[in-house]
Amino acid sequence: MVPRVFRVMSRSAGSTPVRQAMGLVVVFAVVNLVTLGFAYLSLRSSAEEAMRSNLVQLMAGFDVAASPGAAEVMVTAAAEAADPAHRVFAYIAPDGRVTGNADARLTADGVEIRPMPEGRPLGRDGYLPLIDRKAGGVLIIGESLTPIRELGRTFLGLLALSLVPTVLISLGLGAALAARARARVERIEQALGRLSEGALDTRIPAEPGRADDLARIGARINRMAEAQEAATEALKQVSADIAHDLKTPLQRMTVLLHDLREGLAPGGREAGLADRALAEAEGAVAVFQGLLRIAQIEGGGTRPPSVPVDLNALVASMAELYGPDAEEAGRALTLDLAPATLAVPGDKGLIGQALANLIENALRHTPDGTAISLRTAVDGGRPVIEIADRGPGIPEEEREKVLRRLYRLERSRTTPGHGLGLALVAATARLHGAELDLLDNAPGLKVRMAFPAGRDRGA
Amino acid sequence: MKLLLVEDDATTAAYLAKGLREEGHVVDHLADGREALAQVMRGGYDVLIVDRMLPGLDGLSLVRALRSAKVTVPALFLTAMGGVDDRIEGLRAGGDDYLVKPFAFGELSARVDVLGRRAAQPVVETVLKAGDLTMDLIARKVTRAGQDIDLLPREFTLLEHLMRRKGRVQTRTMLLESVWDLSFDPQTNVVETHISRLRAKVDKPFARELIRTVRGAGYKIED
Repeated sequence: MVPRVFRVMSRSAGSTPVRQAMGLVVVFAVVNLVTLGFAYLSLRSSAEEAMRSNLVQLMAGFDVAASPGAAEVMVTAAAEAADPAHRVFAYIAPDGRVTGNADARLTADGVEIRPMPEGRPLGRDGYLPLIDRKAGGVLIIGESLTPIRELGRTFLGLLALSLVPTVLISLGLGAALAARARARVERIEQALGRLSEGALDTRIPAEPGRADDLARIGARINRMAEAQEAATEALKQVSADIAHDLKTPLQRMTVLLHDLREGLAPGGREAGLADRALAEAEGAVAVFQGLLRIAQIEGGGTRPPSVPVDLNALVASMAELYGPDAEEAGRALTLDLAPATLAVPGDKGLIGQALANLIENALRHTPDGTAISLRTAVDGGRPVIEIADRGPGIPEEEREKVLRRLYRLERSRTTPGHGLGLALVAATARLHGAELDLLDNAPGLKVRMAFPAGRDRGA
Repeated sequence: MKLLLVEDDATTAAYLAKGLREEGHVVDHLADGREALAQVMRGGYDVLIVDRMLPGLDGLSLVRALRSAKVTVPALFLTAMGGVDDRIEGLRAGGDDYLVKPFAFGELSARVDVLGRRAAQPVVETVLKAGDLTMDLIARKVTRAGQDIDLLPREFTLLEHLMRRKGRVQTRTMLLESVWDLSFDPQTNVVETHISRLRAKVDKPFARELIRTVRGAGYKIED
């Protein structure tokens, strides 16, 4: 029982109710200890005082002995009446002979009391001695310390009786209450974890008959989750509607344009116009598709898939795929892979798309001949991908803005693109719990994606 | 092949049916999911092309119903929804492939071709031929008109993929998926660069061009 209590307590050490319960137990124990301690000390000193004055009175009774012989007679009489276990009398005559119910010898720091040969046994707890010169010899009267020791034992018993059960009971009760509170807090934590992963149908189990703070927080979170779920559902519905209502006419338009194109003599002006119209329709689709995709990832309705993606293999494939394109533009595309296997649970298609967007950005927005490097590494347990170039880079104040949808740098307005590539990279990073940083490669841009370390991926 | 096209948009359906018939397929067209279910159960189709949004019974439920009735005819979904989950949802419902609208006709035709042949037993070949081009898969040697051609490993895989599917169009996304094992939409024509490098070795020194570009669709190799 007790080890179990301690296990519960130590596991719950991080929770507030447990810390409060432990604190109260400690305060109670300290107050109890101090009170009992003071009572014991003052009782002991007054008992000792009483013993000492008793001894002084006894000692005074022997003042009448005028000679060692008289003293020996008096001591023998007193000694015979007394139990050496309670009180000892010993007279050391001037010639060194010891009379009494105990043998005694003076030492440098007082007196050593031993039982007489063939005498009765002495007390186990020692004696409070009084030493005085009487009739040329030395008289030692010792009072057994047993009552004082018993006082101590009584107080220890008192302490054990009052403190130990109290502490155990409060520990047990505290642990039980804390475990219950902790279980409820954990349920709330788990529900919040699942909600933030996108499982919007998660609810905290209702606790009928409870109206305390935790129950109220739970109810509030449930209401929030309901609202969030409704909003996401509405967003999904709207995107599906827009997707359908906008894409169907786009599909028809492409179909009609293809039909038109078929009927035209190749190379003519009309055929050129039809080709341009087709290209424009494709551009519209690309922007539209990109916006929908980002909205879906960010809408919270998507859970990150947990298929392990081998980042080294993916980055190597990317480098191999874009190698010839880079080479044609006179660029060096370098690859530097971490020696360890970097497996990240996620969506390979999305991470691949993000990498493609970053590589294509580097190819598009830096002059031909500019080097591009791809790197994977492990940094503090976190798998990291870096894509760096030696181009003009992105001014510091623009780095946040380029991650927004449809935002484009002033100087990039003339290059192809829709301003959605980096927004998709940012959304992909968020979906995977990865940190995305746009850094200065001095010169150039370095984009760094740090995935969560193996274990601390959202619970 | 005998195809069933289930699509409620008349313009798109007419265009697709016309294109597929021109390629020699027999195409039946239905606009309603419930009718389609009854029609497929009668049997006889090689590939289904199913729009996800349909009146009567939606595409997902149609294919799910077919699969639970142990009807295994390959199904390709057409959809306006190109979300991350939608594709997975479609494949989970028992679909075999997925195309997001709007798409080029070539892409559809190439994918229908793949689905139609999937059922057929693959022949174990060790030597592939296209015209005077020969690929020995065991010695990993490529020769054309008796001349050795040196290929990089990826070029070899790319050529092998095209030769195994001689005469059939391979779209850029199909090549990305099967040669590089990557599934995404590149904004640049990155596959084109690889094809032109392959051409420089396989076609350029010779009189006849074996690797063809199919406008608006992809590439194929021919005898």
